[in-house]
Amino acid sequence: MSNVMGLKAKLGLDVFKEDKEFHIRIKAGKEKDIRLKNTVLVCPAGLYSENDNGEIIIGVDGCLECGTCLLVCGPEVLEWHYPSGGAGVQFRFG
Amino acid sequence: MNIIVAMKQVPDLQQVRIRNREPVIEGVPYTLGIIDKNALEAGIQLKEATGSNLIVVSAGNEEVEETIKEALAAGADEAYLVLDDKLDGMESSLTASLLAATIKKIEEVGLVIFGEGSGDNYSGQVGSRVAEILDLPQVGYVSKIELDGTTAKITRSLEDCEELLEVQLPMVVTVLGDINEPRIPSVSQILKAGRKPKEILELDDLDIEIPKDKKISTLSNLAPETDRKRVAVKSVSDLITALQAEGFVGR
Amino acid sequence: MVEETVEIFDAIIVGAGLAGLAAAYTLAAEGLEVLVLERGDYPGAKNVTGGRIYLNPVREMFPELWKKAPLERYIAHEEVCIMDKERSINVRYDGMELGMEPYQSYSVLRGKFDKWFAKQAERKGAMIVAKSRVDDVIMENGQVVGVIAGGEELRANVVIACDGVLSFTAEKAGLRKGAQAKNFAVGFKEIIELPRQVIEDRFNLEGDEGLARLYMGDVTKGKFGGGFLYTNKESISLGIVVGIKDLMEEEPRIEAPQLLDDFKQRPEVARLLKGGETVEYSAHVIPEGGYKVMDKLYGDGILVAGDAAGFSMNIGVTVRGMEYAMASGYFAAQAVIQAKEKNDFTRAGLATYETLLKNSFVLKDFINFKESLEVLEYPPLFKHYPELAGNIMKDLYEVPAGPKARLYPTIKKYISMGEMWAMVQVGRRMMKI
Repeated sequence: MSNVMGLKAKLGLDVFKEDKEFHIRIKAGKEKDIRLKNTVLVCPAGLYSENDNGEIIIGVDGCLECGTCLLVCGPEVLEWHYPSGGAGVQFRFG
Repeated sequence: MNIIVAMKQVPDLQQVRIRNREPVIEGVPYTLGIIDKNALEAGIQLKEATGSNLIVVSAGNEEVEETIKEALAAGADEAYLVLDDKLDGMESSLTASLLAATIKKIEEVGLVIFGEGSGDNYSGQVGSRVAEILDLPQVGYVSKIELDGTTAKITRSLEDCEELLEVQLPMVVTVLGDINEPRIPSVSQILKAGRKPKEILELDDLDIEIPKDKKISTLSNLAPETDRKRVAVKSVSDLITALQAEGFVGR
Repeated sequence: MVEETVEIFDAIIVGAGLAGLAAAYTLAAEGLEVLVLERGDYPGAKNVTGGRIYLNPVREMFPELWKKAPLERYIAHEEVCIMDKERSINVRYDGMELGMEPYQSYSVLRGKFDKWFAKQAERKGAMIVAKSRVDDVIMENGQVVGVIAGGEELRANVVIACDGVLSFTAEKAGLRKGAQAKNFAVGFKEIIELPRQVIEDRFNLEGDEGLARLYMGDVTKGKFGGGFLYTNKESISLGIVVGIKDLMEEEPRIEAPQLLDDFKQRPEVARLLKGGETVEYSAHVIPEGGYKVMDKLYGDGILVAGDAAGFSMNIGVTVRGMEYAMASGYFAAQAVIQAKEKNDFTRAGLATYETLLKNSFVLKDFINFKESLEVLEYPPLFKHYPELAGNIMKDLYEVPAGPKARLYPTIKKYISMGEMWAMVQVGRRMMKI
């Protein structure tokens, strides 16, 4: 097996349990916030990306719940809480 | 009247990973079968509507005693459990004998609810087999249950139609996964679950012996082989060309 | 609808990590009524470590625990690898004392360990409820008197916030100031499975011996942080810890996951992983700000322990957190036991917590190493010096077609007077830690 696998495939190895709602949302009007741009670099799961309009978008599937984006952006930019009990990533090895 | 819900402990399928095409079960936490949880929810709703007593029955290894707490938390009043580590991987016929023998020990049984199939091997047999052993009427593919004194009004969902039946109690139903949305127990319900009565039965209590030889043996249980082509493309147009070449687009 | 329950617990612990479980274990052993609320599917489901726990500081706090604990390998070999772009220098330390019982440290997988530890706490009488997220604390007259989980009020004399680095529980109780990215690092790692024998052969290990290797330099492209490799029984934990601020601001701008992929592709790393299969990818934030940025450790009706309190420390060759988590959980439990005797769960009644911590290795370490982050957060350490060391080695080992340069001038070429002066300055920086 090759050493380098795509990030999506890597995340696919983890167990994720579905939540009823998205646990991270970008607050309205903050899509182009300078703090938010950093998330593209810092998110270990690569969930943030910039679209053609220069807005940052997030797909929360595959979130490892590390909290890096919250520390980078702060609560003014992100509405951030943990997934509901029993939902989200479930590490088998940790 | 007692309403019985039969539930099976299964490995949490989402936690099972595949190594060399075989499932790795070791260390995987147990849970209750997903449709079994719908059966339980149906039981809880009927209990609430009629004031009946709700008993959950299960058979399996010693871990069942812990796993079943989830059902007691959600609303079952008591549990009858057949526990023996030898029961791991038992066949449907044995499960049915054990559950039927257990249910016989309970008085005033009005309704026995099963999920349409178990969360692991989904043989879909146990409900029917138990009905046969207990000589009770059985209805499958159930999407709605109403109790009315000594009878039940049962809706069956078939592919293109719904069938409404009236059945004399006691009876066995096997319910579909979309009959309801199972509730999530609260913390205090979970804490109280530990104190609800549990009747632990041994194989000796039921006069049932585990047959020496299995009638069905699993020869292999492999994940489908995936053949990835591992084609690297540099641009969207390359991707389209590659997909067209494979006949996936532009046919 | 908020349901009222009658039961009042001695303590509600938020989070079944090492701090929470240590507190639960200790309190339950003393016969107190303890409830642990864990948002994961099971204890351990949300918990991540790089890979190593040091037992000496906490061994005596849990004397019965270690014999059967599902730890991985005892670390008998310590290595540091200084990485430049195309070369690396590896130093292996094989101390006899590392191979002697009781072993100093072990590699560990939290999924396994925490689940087991939770069971031990339950055997002592603690109640642990998983799949339950705490959404708020209940405050009455400025005192924390319980939590809200799943819309339900749960009451206790004390709440112990062990909910990890982001600790929303401590925040809701008003104990936390706004966290700043510069005081945190992010770690991310892969678990790579390999047969036991292959690991032992590849890393030159006997039986249950294990190895820890830290990487610095090009592994983080010169950013503050490093790489790590720990051998488990049948897998390797391989990952990177990098300062969040450096990741945002320092050149080269590179996405975090790419760092790990580049690390894995380094020939000296790739050959160690050959034939291995990645089975999990995880990430976690690590508090690294230390004593200077520590928030309040307790308040009326509440104590904070583990990562939630910022108890994690990077002093270069050792990155520690789990011992502090367990010890702080233990001391939180001791403080609650004493508070119960006095029946005083106010700030004053719980103040023993800080005293106990200050008299123990926990706060002593944090005070001793309070300068470490500022000292270590010095870019040349991660870029210039690894490069320098690599270049010197390259020239020392090189046998050219022509005559080989004398050794002294070779070294002198790299270490000028200015360079030496700079090194003295670095040395003086280091004297602070």
